[in-house]
Amino acid sequence: MDETKGARRFIHYGRGTRLDGFQTELVALLPRLRRFARVLRPADADAQDLLQQTVERALSQRGKYRPGTRLDSWTFTIMRRIAIDEGRRGQRWARVVAPEDDTTAQVPDPGLASEALRTDALLARDAIFALPSEQREAVALVLIEGLSYAEAAEVLGVPAGTLTSRLVRGRQALIERLAAEGVTG
Amino acid sequence: MTGQVDDTALMRLVDGEATARERVDIEAAAAADPALAARLSALRMSDRRLRDAFPAAADPRDVDLARLIAASSDARKTPSAWSRISGVLAPAFAPRPIAVWGALAAAAFVAGVVVAPMLDQQRTYPGTFTVADGGRIADVEAVQALDRRLAAEGPDARGYAVGLTFRDADGHWCRTFSAARSGVAGLACRQDDDWGLVALSPFVGPKSEVRTAAADTPQVVLDAVDARLSGETADAAAEKQARDAGWRQAPVG
Repeated sequence: MDETKGARRFIHYGRGTRLDGFQTELVALLPRLRRFARVLRPADADAQDLLQQTVERALSQRGKYRPGTRLDSWTFTIMRRIAIDEGRRGQRWARVVAPEDDTTAQVPDPGLASEALRTDALLARDAIFALPSEQREAVALVLIEGLSYAEAAEVLGVPAGTLTSRLVRGRQALIERLAAEGVTG
Repeated sequence: MTGQVDDTALMRLVDGEATARERVDIEAAAAADPALAARLSALRMSDRRLRDAFPAAADPRDVDLARLIAASSDARKTPSAWSRISGVLAPAFAPRPIAVWGALAAAAFVAGVVVAPMLDQQRTYPGTFTVADGGRIADVEAVQALDRRLAAEGPDARGYAVGLTFRDADGHWCRTFSAARSGVAGLACRQDDDWGLVALSPFVGPKSEVRTAAADTPQVVLDAVDARLSGETADAAAEKQARDAGWRQAPVG
């Protein structure tokens, strides 16, 4: 059991060349950034564009990031601003997910245990896309990304009370829709 | 609590935003009121469905983005940065991340052994749990929970909870933890100013309304605790004291 003796054996810090903390954290965030992009932009290619622009802007505005604060909230904020700016320009994401859209194959998680669960996940996905965007953002940040109310309110630039009411209304709509689709327990 | 519990209060409860007092009140009310309990359970069900529908999965295109990140600013001067980062992402590209995870878990936990020797590069496990090179836990939220959370406080708003706290034979503090949303639980031990991952296991959070920190610790993690434990686990007072002292290594006695 020498292999397992003493944590020090296999834990190395700060040795050699490595990405700095900001870069490491940003790379680690990519799956979550992509997920949030998919909430903001249902079509896969649009989500990819949004993610790419977000990464580029995060790198170029790195100087504005305050170390010690949450990088996820900061990048979500950037992403959302880009999405809003783009939305004003084009509305191209109005083409809502078609059955043959390439995101369908990737969502929901193929690891989900049963066909029924996968179907439920697709229904949940439809349900969130049916929400008005401000409710959808609130729901995504809190329920999917796990931000606190205060953090989500900051990302969205709204008072805490506004965030809470969007969250309540969004959730009520989700529950009603899922119940209507027969998704239970 | 008497009278109507509104949706906002229920929502704050399931999101971990309720105060301890509010939580106790609502849970007591729900225990006495089936209609309220049903609303609570509908809320949790829809949350779960939503999270299932949006897994944080690695994507092959992340490689290009990671290259972009690696090429930026300081790292531009360091040719090894890219080779390092491709290693970070490579394990995540199997078509079914869950299967990779299963294989890793099977390989690592056969005898309750330590996974850290395998973790020579950063990996992101299903959900958002991230381990950097050498087994250092890089998941900011997990680190925060390990640094600050007390077992008695239960899971935080993001589902991170701490279970047992104890010292190993070298006097380093170790803590078990669970990250319900990432679907992992594990054991971390203090090393310099970081938490090093000692054991990690797939973890399914309790489906019921009552969430507890330690009771659901997977067996492989408990085995890792047994292998490392020197003396007793810390009680609440010792845990708090160690936290407030910054998890400094204690002299071996």
